[in-house]
Amino acid sequence: MIRRPKHELPIIPTANLVDIAILLIIFYMACSNFLSTSTGRIVPPKAPDLSKIEEPLVIVSIDQAGTLYLQGQVMSGVAALESAVGELLRDKPDDEARRVMFKCDATVSREVYQPALNAIVQAGGLILAVGEKTEQ
Amino acid sequence: MRKKFHMRQLNQDAVPTTSLADMMFLLLIFFIMTTTLTKTTGFITDIPTGMKGQQNTQEKTPTIALHDEKITVNETQAMDMDGLRKYVKGLRLDQRQGEAKVVMIAAEGRVPYQVYYETLALVQNAGGVVAIVSDEEEQK
Repeated sequence: MIRRPKHELPIIPTANLVDIAILLIIFYMACSNFLSTSTGRIVPPKAPDLSKIEEPLVIVSIDQAGTLYLQGQVMSGVAALESAVGELLRDKPDDEARRVMFKCDATVSREVYQPALNAIVQAGGLILAVGEKTEQ
Repeated sequence: MRKKFHMRQLNQDAVPTTSLADMMFLLLIFFIMTTTLTKTTGFITDIPTGMKGQQNTQEKTPTIALHDEKITVNETQAMDMDGLRKYVKGLRLDQRQGEAKVVMIAAEGRVPYQVYYETLALVQNAGGVVAIVSDEEEQK
């Protein structure tokens, strides 16, 4: 009777796997930026020659349905937006602190976005218009 | 007997790390799923505003009017986006000083934000200062 040799399964060393996982977690924690505001669906407008910008503290958004948001909270109208933005920008004399990010869906019509832009300007904000960079 | 007791004591003091890997991988999956590494792109603009009534006092300021179907410059020349790009480039806004840098942008009808944004970006990148022209009725 021929005795077959015992095949042992190869052992994968997993001792250092946790260390690698911890390193990856640290990387993701350092690099991630979570959504600070929740809004409806926004498809940003596209334009060439856009530069990378730092996100400011004040964020105004308009979604596809035309709903106006300030810091993720629904605004009742442009008058409310102007006073709320003015309140947030109060005692902020330097340009960097007065920056207001304006995120608007590309399909929204003039009647919606222009009063919102005017309200930000009237409140003393410096508009930081967000878009998607395209090749020329 | 004494040696056996000592071994048991050692085992109890050790921190259990068997489930650490599972926890780490759960966290890792969470971060991979939620992280957005893309940087925000756009442009910064300090927009001065003006009413339509005030527009007459600034005769020399170029005015770009965005309509539903076309773009007009200074209420006469009708052009498309490529034509507007050439026109703005021809203005040489980066070489101008002070108020001469100002370009007024007026939107009429239901112009989508895409067209408005492209125009704003165009003027801004050419070194100009954008001024929004808005209806007096809207301001009220």
